[in-house]
Amino acid sequence: MSSVISSLAEIISFIILIAAAVAAIELYLWSHFKYHNKKLILYSLGIFFSIAFAFVFKLSGFFSVKVFSLFLIWELFLIYASKNLLKGKKYLPYLLAAPAFLGLAALLMYPFIFQVYLSFHDLKLTTIMKWKETGELPFAGIKQYIAVFTVPPLAETGFFKLLWRTLAWTFVNVFFHVLGGFILALMLSEVKAFKGIYRTLLVVPWAMPQVVAVLAMRGEFHSQYGFVNVMIKKALAIFPWLASLGITPVNWLSDYPLLTCVIINIWLGIPFMTVIILGGLQSISKSYYDAASIDGAGYFQKLYYITMPLIKPVLMPAVTLGTVWTFNNINVIYLVTGQAGGTEQADILVSALYKAAFTYNRYSYSAAFAMVIFAILFSISVSYSKFFAEKKEGKT
Amino acid sequence: MKKETVKQILLHIGLICAALICVYPLSRIFTVSIRPGDRIISTDLALIPDQATFLSYIKLLKETYFLRWLYNSLVITAATSFIGVSLASTAAYAFSRFEFFGKRSAMIVLLATQMIPAGMLILPLFLMIMKLNLMNTYLGMIIAYSVSSLPFSIWILKGYYDTIPKSLEEAAMVDGTGHIGAFWKVILPLSTPALSIAFLFNFTAAWNEYLVARVVLFSSKQYTWTLGLFELQGQFITQWGMFAAGSMLVTVPVLLVFLYSSKWLVSGLTLGSVKG
Repeated sequence: MSSVISSLAEIISFIILIAAAVAAIELYLWSHFKYHNKKLILYSLGIFFSIAFAFVFKLSGFFSVKVFSLFLIWELFLIYASKNLLKGKKYLPYLLAAPAFLGLAALLMYPFIFQVYLSFHDLKLTTIMKWKETGELPFAGIKQYIAVFTVPPLAETGFFKLLWRTLAWTFVNVFFHVLGGFILALMLSEVKAFKGIYRTLLVVPWAMPQVVAVLAMRGEFHSQYGFVNVMIKKALAIFPWLASLGITPVNWLSDYPLLTCVIINIWLGIPFMTVIILGGLQSISKSYYDAASIDGAGYFQKLYYITMPLIKPVLMPAVTLGTVWTFNNINVIYLVTGQAGGTEQADILVSALYKAAFTYNRYSYSAAFAMVIFAILFSISVSYSKFFAEKKEGKT
Repeated sequence: MKKETVKQILLHIGLICAALICVYPLSRIFTVSIRPGDRIISTDLALIPDQATFLSYIKLLKETYFLRWLYNSLVITAATSFIGVSLASTAAYAFSRFEFFGKRSAMIVLLATQMIPAGMLILPLFLMIMKLNLMNTYLGMIIAYSVSSLPFSIWILKGYYDTIPKSLEEAAMVDGTGHIGAFWKVILPLSTPALSIAFLFNFTAAWNEYLVARVVLFSSKQYTWTLGLFELQGQFITQWGMFAAGSMLVTVPVLLVFLYSSKWLVSGLTLGSVKG
């Protein structure tokens, strides 16, 4: 009980600390913006904050000439901006947005830059203690980038194999997500009774915490007690001829890990697409279908000529999003195969990255690997958006 | 007429099958969680087993740190969401109500941060936390989580603020308050629905997180529930009964919250892009 209270006190004091830091930053910015036309005050503020900054950083042990000169440059920029650009007008939005952007800068952009820095150096298990104490790292040039393509990130699976597997994984998953989502959404939009109940039940895989959902599904693929094999055995008992078609109980987790992961991920991803597509379907006016019926169009003609084009604007962002999510899906693969003695047969790029960093502790290598993955994902996204932009232009 | 009835019946059959597939693993967890101890591993498929008992739940609460894990998760998640939503609410106000130099580029930066895959930043975050000596602590986790949902929250809140008529604030400002007063007294109370959605989104994202926790926390007392459950599934022996009981206890509240908020979540998801 006492540990609970002390940890609560720790958290509350941390939040108060953050609030104080935010207040200090706001005060710092505000004072510069406020006294933009009083040179004496502005410059003495600059000197005061430089000393305060140096003092605080000396206390916390992070002081270095590099950091301090960066701060001086920033301070000069702030004084310049306040004097010549803002001139005391409309500085409120900057004050409002500053804490959020400082947070993003410290915890999203800085780690990203740090990762780039790491990828050109050599941080591994043998150099990490020295780095932690002194901050020194041996420079490695593009050695790590060459290693990404030549040295396998895992014990045996190399980069290009992982890349193809990732592309196949992404394509198969997104394809079935959209297909399954489309079919379920069509069924939901046409069914008359219990629509709400079906809709609720169908989103359960998405609503469950992913860790629970994946681990539960993993259990269902257990070779002896899992639902899948139990059902196959029961089916075999009734229809023995199924065995000749190759339908027999198998060791899903050790022999077909990739297939298992794909099935689990398809199961997980369909509800999201269903909900998105259903929303799109409901926004299509009924009068289009009525007009088409009068012209004698059949069900599939209506589907192809009315539903598909009208659903596109809703579907495309969801597909883009789904592609990025699937490409980056570490969770499913790691939770299914990540335990000791886990197989490599199901790993895609990002899960290999996670394992290379934290199972094999190759930090700089992983940083370079991450940058390569980022470049691949970035080029896919850019070509995606270009592709759709061109299509739009072609239409009008 | 006849054709229509047949179609409806077929639709119901199809949807019932799909619903069963969707709900089945959850129902199975429920079944396993109330099985008696000597029959936890079984090929039996009945929903409610013979001699159903809550022993697994009791065992879970008594023999593992489960409550402690829940508490850890709760503390980390609550602090994270509180920080995230407070930062987002003011930033969103700046984007919604003001024209300022750099606004467009700041919005692009916000969207661009969504392009960086979350899994990619785990390594530098881990190294930063290690350098700050915050391994295995709540603070390390809070730092790692706090901004990950920030861009999404800002988008959602900005969208909502945009729908609040400006005249309401102007009326407040005529009465003598400044922008800050108007924000505090008019905008914030009016946008409670959006704030709670942003809070829920932050909350579920941190609550269900696994990968960062895996590398930052290493003593079983500090685990969040995701790590704890994974451990119960074990490397050598799977504690099926306790795993199932823990899963039930965690899933049911999350499920209810999700079903309640899904309508807004979906509109937010299609509004801006988010990462998973």
